[in-house]
Amino acid sequence: MLSCLVIGAQDCGFTLSGLVNDQSTNEPLSYANIVIQETKAGAVTNDDGEFVFDGLCANHYHIHISHLGCEPQILHIDLVSDTTLQIILDHTSIALGEVVVGAKSHVTATQASNYVGKQMLDDNLNESLSDLIADIAGVQMIRNGAGISKPIVHGMFGNRLTILNNGVPQSGQQWGIDHSPEIDPNVAQSITVIKGVQSLEYGNANLGSVVLVQPKSIGREPHLHGGVTTLLESNGLGLNINARLQQYTGKFAWRLTGTYKNYGDSNTPDYYLRNTGLREANMALQVEKSWKDKVFSEVYISHFSTRLGVLRGSHISSTTDLASALSRDTPFYTEEKFSRRLDAPNQVVDHQLAKWNTKYYFDTEDHVELTLALQRNNRKEFDIRRGDRTDKPSLNILQYNTFCDLKYYKVLNQEWSMKIGSTTSLTNNQNQPGTGITPLIPDYFASRAGAYALFNWSSAKFNVELGSRYDYEFQNIAKFSNTVPKELLRFKNNFHNVSGLLGLSYQLSDNQSLLLNTGLGMRNPAINELYSFGLHQGVSGIEEGESGLNSETALKSSIEYKIWSGVGFSLDIMGYYQRFWDYIYLLPTGETRLTIRGAFPVFRYTQTDAGIVGLDFNSQFSIGNAWIATLNYSYIKGTDVTFNQPLVFMPSNNAIAGLTYQFKQSPKLGKTRFENLEVSSQFDYTFKQHNLLESQDFALPPDGYLLTDIVLSGNIILSKVQLRCNLKVTNAFNTVYRDYLNRQRYFADDLGRSIQAGVNIKF
Amino acid sequence: MYLLLPVVLFIACDPDPIDEGPDEEIITTLLYTLTPTTGDPVVLSFSDIDGESGNDPIISGGTLSANTTYSGSLELLNESESPAEDITEEIAEEDEEHQFFFATTIADLTVAYADQDEDGNPIGLSTTVTTGATSAGTVTITLRHQPNKGGESVSDGDITNAGGETDIEVEFPITVE
Repeated sequence: MLSCLVIGAQDCGFTLSGLVNDQSTNEPLSYANIVIQETKAGAVTNDDGEFVFDGLCANHYHIHISHLGCEPQILHIDLVSDTTLQIILDHTSIALGEVVVGAKSHVTATQASNYVGKQMLDDNLNESLSDLIADIAGVQMIRNGAGISKPIVHGMFGNRLTILNNGVPQSGQQWGIDHSPEIDPNVAQSITVIKGVQSLEYGNANLGSVVLVQPKSIGREPHLHGGVTTLLESNGLGLNINARLQQYTGKFAWRLTGTYKNYGDSNTPDYYLRNTGLREANMALQVEKSWKDKVFSEVYISHFSTRLGVLRGSHISSTTDLASALSRDTPFYTEEKFSRRLDAPNQVVDHQLAKWNTKYYFDTEDHVELTLALQRNNRKEFDIRRGDRTDKPSLNILQYNTFCDLKYYKVLNQEWSMKIGSTTSLTNNQNQPGTGITPLIPDYFASRAGAYALFNWSSAKFNVELGSRYDYEFQNIAKFSNTVPKELLRFKNNFHNVSGLLGLSYQLSDNQSLLLNTGLGMRNPAINELYSFGLHQGVSGIEEGESGLNSETALKSSIEYKIWSGVGFSLDIMGYYQRFWDYIYLLPTGETRLTIRGAFPVFRYTQTDAGIVGLDFNSQFSIGNAWIATLNYSYIKGTDVTFNQPLVFMPSNNAIAGLTYQFKQSPKLGKTRFENLEVSSQFDYTFKQHNLLESQDFALPPDGYLLTDIVLSGNIILSKVQLRCNLKVTNAFNTVYRDYLNRQRYFADDLGRSIQAGVNIKF
Repeated sequence: MYLLLPVVLFIACDPDPIDEGPDEEIITTLLYTLTPTTGDPVVLSFSDIDGESGNDPIISGGTLSANTTYSGSLELLNESESPAEDITEEIAEEDEEHQFFFATTIADLTVAYADQDEDGNPIGLSTTVTTGATSAGTVTITLRHQPNKGGESVSDGDITNAGGETDIEVEFPITVE
């Protein structure tokens, strides 16, 4: 994002000038503050976004660039001549409709995407990946209590949503609603949600949306830099720490990041939620090296480990237990006092990722990229068991996944560019011995190979993209039957999936654009949909896979209109319709099966035709000089077309309104300067899910609810260091509510008021 | 070609799952033996060898004599193992964490606890059953794991405030004549 032009040469008395532009609109930014940290000299950009410093000596300088509503940047330069800088600032705090157009990625230009930047990640260190992106229209989360959550984008989650962790499709035990993605978002620099239809490049069984968790390139700053973010939270008495260090040694660049979280029992407005604590520790090391601007290589190693408590009162083992839990105001086992104790039921998850990525540039318009990755994921789930078996996991799965991706990018001429690539991945999923229970999910090997081609044609106003992809998947499964005596059953499956897309973006004027997309995708049934068998806590019933399932096919079309004017106003409306053939879902069969623990409802995976229609609305406008208002709304409705009834597990409609006041001045107190001070409040209304039949759930969806958040944030610039402070109150009015997509709603209320105080120090 | 090689290697072998053996915690069988002071005992039995799988359990109720006192004794088995494992001992060892509850639709039939754990709370492995006038109906036996034994009326056999997980919930047809 930064490029330097070197002009002329002298000894001392150099000129450093520059131009600051806004990333999303590309317009010049006036009133940006530029400070040279070594000399303390300051400048402000003029109406054309320009600034100038005169009389500088040849030296190393750190330049601090800030603007209202933007994430400040610190830029290192080795000044040896008159220099002109081109600076692009990113309005991250707004997280609105930016199209992610990286340096060499024209191919993504017709995609609809939303973005969460580093400052948002630092300010919300306590939040999970799903929490962080849930404010974006069209994105919500499926949860099981406070700690376990996964994102849902345009109604797609789990097996239907690809999450790319640092360029590698996240591999883990992603079936079921009660498993979180094993990713520390604070290691990343940004999170991008691509809501369009064309994510062919990422493949891996996706039917539209992609969540990208991306670290930033380290760059060539020769000094040791780093930062520490600490965040304390009142609800759950939580401690969050994130620390990072980075340096360019002259030969290579490295960055080390670590995160630690410790929470006790969280509370609703009225009571503590027993056994809902959390311990999490993560580390990541990133090393970059380049050779002569031709070869760029990166190694990334991360380790994620967590222990998540599950509400004690939500652990049930019969439909009678569920009925008695539903009839209570407070869950069983609720205690008067706060506790940090973390007992069964809980989940212990350990995820390791090692990735090596290399790009080779033949020239600026022609490069090849290879990514190799290995993932190891171990999930253990502990239940309340008889005898001394509570210490024994009742589920213990170890999964290895290898991933290999090779792509070639070429600019063919002024208008045409192309990207072709191939992907292979292998998964080995093994149940570990010692649980004393026949596993719900069988052991399997799965291998997948795919290839794709994407072409892009662009002119001044038009951008057209078309592409196609083919994937082959082979599954080799071995499981023990649930009969007495047990039998070893083997299954071998072959699936062929084809997908394609057509995208068009049209620049209506300087500040309006229109994006049209249509994509066809296929997803083969996952192992759990084919072969799971047994009592499943997550559905409070007996879950049966169906080995005869076919691949499901989806056709999604979307239209998006964007309009903006400077930083004062922007509007982004997206409508979409997705039609499914052979949509795979868990059907409540209506039959019950009598066991020694009473009668259980039987759920079986089955297929139907379905349609999902939705609308996302994101808007932002300035009122006067200092106020910014935002309004986001998302509507979604899923219908089972064959049986003419609602689809289960569709998010509720949601509206979020925000109001921010930005202090225009940067007050000084002695040598201390305050910058980017702002106060904001957010009102988040979730509508009741009316689109559901009474027979489709154990309890009616809960009522709609309004949550209010208040945030005070700002930067404190001391002589050597910069502090970023953030004070946030969530659920400020201590509203009692339950959420349709939170399984815990059967048992307990959702979280009450929480106060969070965070400080980020950079050096 | 290098991309295909690992796939080929993978296809060549099969997954090799580890047999966990019969599920350790499964209770397949409940036997409720009711012994009158004089005469032959009556055995109520519930047996479901394949658990959550499709075969229906085998339930056999019984006929009790009117105006009679029986001493009731519960026995739990895991018959998916061979020889069958006696789960009763496990429950007796962890008696503070377990309690049986007895419910009936027969007006004159009562079930009273005849045993206690170390805290003086009832368990329900031993009971005293008293019948009244001629009638017919059902008896439901429930076993809760980690109930709140101190909850209101729980020690009197009222399940309402007990909580915990249901390990057993079986219903027997009973005739009193």
